[in-house]
Amino acid sequence: MTTTRRTLLAGAALAASFALSPAFAQGQTEIELFFPVPVDGQLARDMATLLKEFNEKNPSIKATPVYTGSYDETLIKTRAAMKAGKPPAAVIMSANFLLDLKIEGEIQPMDALIKADGKTNDQFMGQFFDALHGNAVLDRQVYGVPFHNSTPLLYVNTDHLKEAGLDPDKLPANWEELVTTAKKLTRRDGDRVTRWGMMMPSNYDYGGWILQALTHSNGGQWFNVDYGGEVYYDTPSMLGALTFWSDLVSKHKVHPAGVQAGGAVSSAFLSGQASMMLLSTGSLTHIRTNAKFPYKVAFVPKNVKNEVPIGGASLVIPTGVEGERRKAAWTLINWMTSPEKSGWWSRATGYFAPNKAAYDTAEMKAFIEKNPDAGIAVSQLAFAKPWFATYRTVPVRKAIEDELAAVLSAKKTPKEALVAAQKQADEIMRPYVEQTALKLPTN
Amino acid sequence: MSQASTGVATGEVSPKLGYAATLLVAALWMVPFLWMLVAAFNPESIGAGMASLVPSYIPTLANFREAWASADFPRYGLNTTIISLGILAVQVVTITLAGYAFARLEFPGRTLCFYLFLLQLMLAPVVLIVPNLTTIARLGLYDTLLGVMAPYFVSAFGTFLMRQAFRAIPRELEDAALIDGAGVFQRIGFIYLPLARPSLVAFSIVSVTAHWNEFLWPLMVINSPDLRPLTVGLASFTRGAEGAQAWGVIAAGTLLVSAPLLLAFALFQRAFVNSFVSSGIK
Repeated sequence: MTTTRRTLLAGAALAASFALSPAFAQGQTEIELFFPVPVDGQLARDMATLLKEFNEKNPSIKATPVYTGSYDETLIKTRAAMKAGKPPAAVIMSANFLLDLKIEGEIQPMDALIKADGKTNDQFMGQFFDALHGNAVLDRQVYGVPFHNSTPLLYVNTDHLKEAGLDPDKLPANWEELVTTAKKLTRRDGDRVTRWGMMMPSNYDYGGWILQALTHSNGGQWFNVDYGGEVYYDTPSMLGALTFWSDLVSKHKVHPAGVQAGGAVSSAFLSGQASMMLLSTGSLTHIRTNAKFPYKVAFVPKNVKNEVPIGGASLVIPTGVEGERRKAAWTLINWMTSPEKSGWWSRATGYFAPNKAAYDTAEMKAFIEKNPDAGIAVSQLAFAKPWFATYRTVPVRKAIEDELAAVLSAKKTPKEALVAAQKQADEIMRPYVEQTALKLPTN
Repeated sequence: MSQASTGVATGEVSPKLGYAATLLVAALWMVPFLWMLVAAFNPESIGAGMASLVPSYIPTLANFREAWASADFPRYGLNTTIISLGILAVQVVTITLAGYAFARLEFPGRTLCFYLFLLQLMLAPVVLIVPNLTTIARLGLYDTLLGVMAPYFVSAFGTFLMRQAFRAIPRELEDAALIDGAGVFQRIGFIYLPLARPSLVAFSIVSVTAHWNEFLWPLMVINSPDLRPLTVGLASFTRGAEGAQAWGVIAAGTLLVSAPLLLAFALFQRAFVNSFVSSGIK
């Protein structure tokens, strides 16, 4: 309430100063862009470079990049800033938080801005890959503009394949092949494993995403795409996926036990202590620049079908950002997601350029020619589905990630874990479910 | 109680065994630090040799160069120093006065007040992020260093510590000063403060270390790159969501961030340890 009133007052003050001083019109609009750093050092600097260039090209706007930690911390910071009445003009937000933010009324639809540019929503979203629409268009309204996106990808050390007498041109395409290959690649010294056949990250945020990829490959759904109050944790397809992961650890012993952080997985792969891994396409550039051995990438192996979730982040405008600041944020968002800029960011990071036209630029064509692995990542997009998003995505996700950790440490069976996760997730989503799906006419 | 402590002193636990156990624990605590040291000078950020605790390379400063270039360390260092020392400066005043009030002044509801005060210790700081930020914004302190510092100006832990220290000081000393005509501030300044110095020093160390290392709250308050403290500045190039990490640079950066505290500890080690022993914080 107070925020709205204050915003109104601020708006009135702005309008008043506008009318009183014509000089204000030529003044700079100051906006902030909240951004999580998806990759390491160089990229934080690249983001600063990107915004500096934007400011030089748009002298009427002064955009400041504000570093906001991880995806989860960015969500906390954005929400806290909004509650404090200081919403940032634009945020690079983890794509699966958009639904929750929309339910809470914390981000605004961009339809009016799109219309003012003389486009329809479909025309505007048409420039981005279809797989990305699910996490950006909610109720036919555009709430997010895809900025950098990813899917999980299988990375394989081909030197290790050759050593094990396997064909480096034939990478595991299904779960059975993945297990037999991982067994052949795992090296043991007595009871001690000196090289793991397979590794997958299971830390917060990453673990849920990887498990979603396995669930989809097993024909599962994870969540109700059309309704934010349902997840399918306790289902056969999810049980199969979790059992598969658990078997790699306890039965086949080709995957280390316990929670593995994303950084630890890539370090193990780069140092030759793991032969295969599932990791984000967002790590492609890091792996490419640091791998001292030949490697190849492939689709996530399927059990039932080829299907993966998208990942990454979209640009959003919080509610309460109005007038000139909103316009300036829109200018920035469009500039950052243009074919040239999203292509540039993609080459620097390894994330996809969500803008399809980026792949028609000469620079991108030359880049893909030189780095076919980036091309494989793009072709997997045809099999991509939306990232799980529910009411209160983070706690609902954490409910299963805690259980995933228990399973990987052999403290629970997959079935026990899924029942517990389902129960907890249902509990978290209950208020929403009762207010929406269960809110029936009483007479 | 006293029986047990004399028992230990007369050798119920063999001193040698205790010594060995201490060394073992100390060695365990040292491992991550040593690894950071080894990794920081390692020319290879990735590879078999990277994970080794034993250096097997020609040391290089390349990681430090990259870390230094990645973030504006002098500015971040200055911000962190202003935050940590600024908080401490105000805290010293507030906890001394509050501690004195709770220890020596008689007023109705003193005990209740004190317990309410102590209740703060039970609250996880994260819970207060949103209400604190709202207050800070209303005061016009959003995105300022003062905004980072303000919520810490009063410390429940510090007040409790000073109250205990003041209560241990014989009241007769104060009475004597009172007869000589000393005012409240003179009594605090000339009697209580000098005698409670170990507690104050111990608190200062805890306070400075905590605020030097703090990450989440400054991340919430600060927007301008120029106002970032070291932790936030460092994190902007070490934390990856989906990407991977360059361990050598992270190690070098972490060393740069922690160096001032480590250096201070090395220089004032004796004073630190003494203050902890005599203040009774363990």
